[in-house]
Amino acid sequence: MKTNKMKIWIGCGLFCVLSVLFSSWYAVAYNDSRLVAPMDFKNYVFEIRDLPMIVSVSLTCIYLVALFAMLFIHAGKKQRQAEETGATRKINPKLGCLGVLGFLGFTGFWTYSVDGAVFPFAFFLFFGFFGFYYEGKMSGTFMDERFRENIARAKLKAYKIAFGVMLITLIILCQGKLFGNLEYTLIASIITLSLALALGIFLSEYLLYRYDHDDQAGEGEE
Amino acid sequence: MAEFECKLKKYRQMKDLTQEQLAEKVGVRRETIMRLEKAQYNPSLKLAIDISRAVEVPIEEIFVFK
Repeated sequence: MKTNKMKIWIGCGLFCVLSVLFSSWYAVAYNDSRLVAPMDFKNYVFEIRDLPMIVSVSLTCIYLVALFAMLFIHAGKKQRQAEETGATRKINPKLGCLGVLGFLGFTGFWTYSVDGAVFPFAFFLFFGFFGFYYEGKMSGTFMDERFRENIARAKLKAYKIAFGVMLITLIILCQGKLFGNLEYTLIASIITLSLALALGIFLSEYLLYRYDHDDQAGEGEE
Repeated sequence: MAEFECKLKKYRQMKDLTQEQLAEKVGVRRETIMRLEKAQYNPSLKLAIDISRAVEVPIEEIFVFK
């Protein structure tokens, strides 16, 4: 992506964040915290003072949708470019740091104790992003037939392990309630499924890196 | 994988080609040529034909299956 275009996207993102912060401050200071504090939307009646909050949240939603669409299209373009050149896509190994987002999964324990929300446990899936580190290290590698074979080998082994973990989890959890509580069973299944999927995503990149580099280990230069 | 003997190194050196040059000619990475020379990689038919054409030696003389 061109630097100018990226600056525009970052600028729009900052504008959205600032507009939400400003409208939240306005709502708290001059609008009795309407649309900021939890409220019953069944009895909601529009007031003109709600407008800043509605506009800023709408803008942020539009921005997020546009951002995801742009990233999706950009990823597709890169994939096509990689197929045309026969090389792996170019990404920065530092993107592997996104795997740290997996720790957000632990917020599930807090949200569950506060209001019973269990969806944050699914954030454990982000641990799979650690695989970007190995994908980044293999950026721009020419994909000859041996490399493609290694991709298939790595993916097969990773998916076998991930499905194995899921199968064992399913067998254990299907036995009945965990600690006599159905909610704990649901939480355990969300956690293990997220971790198994993350493992599958990470392992396919890690194993490919290992296969490719183990092959090269011990091979003499000419 | 079927066991085979690969005489690619001998024929490549006879043609005065480096691994890099041969790899470029047949459209693979140098590491693949290394593995082939050590008979640690079983090539596809297309790659075997490309290599045979590059070194100008029949396939059955380069790859000897036992």
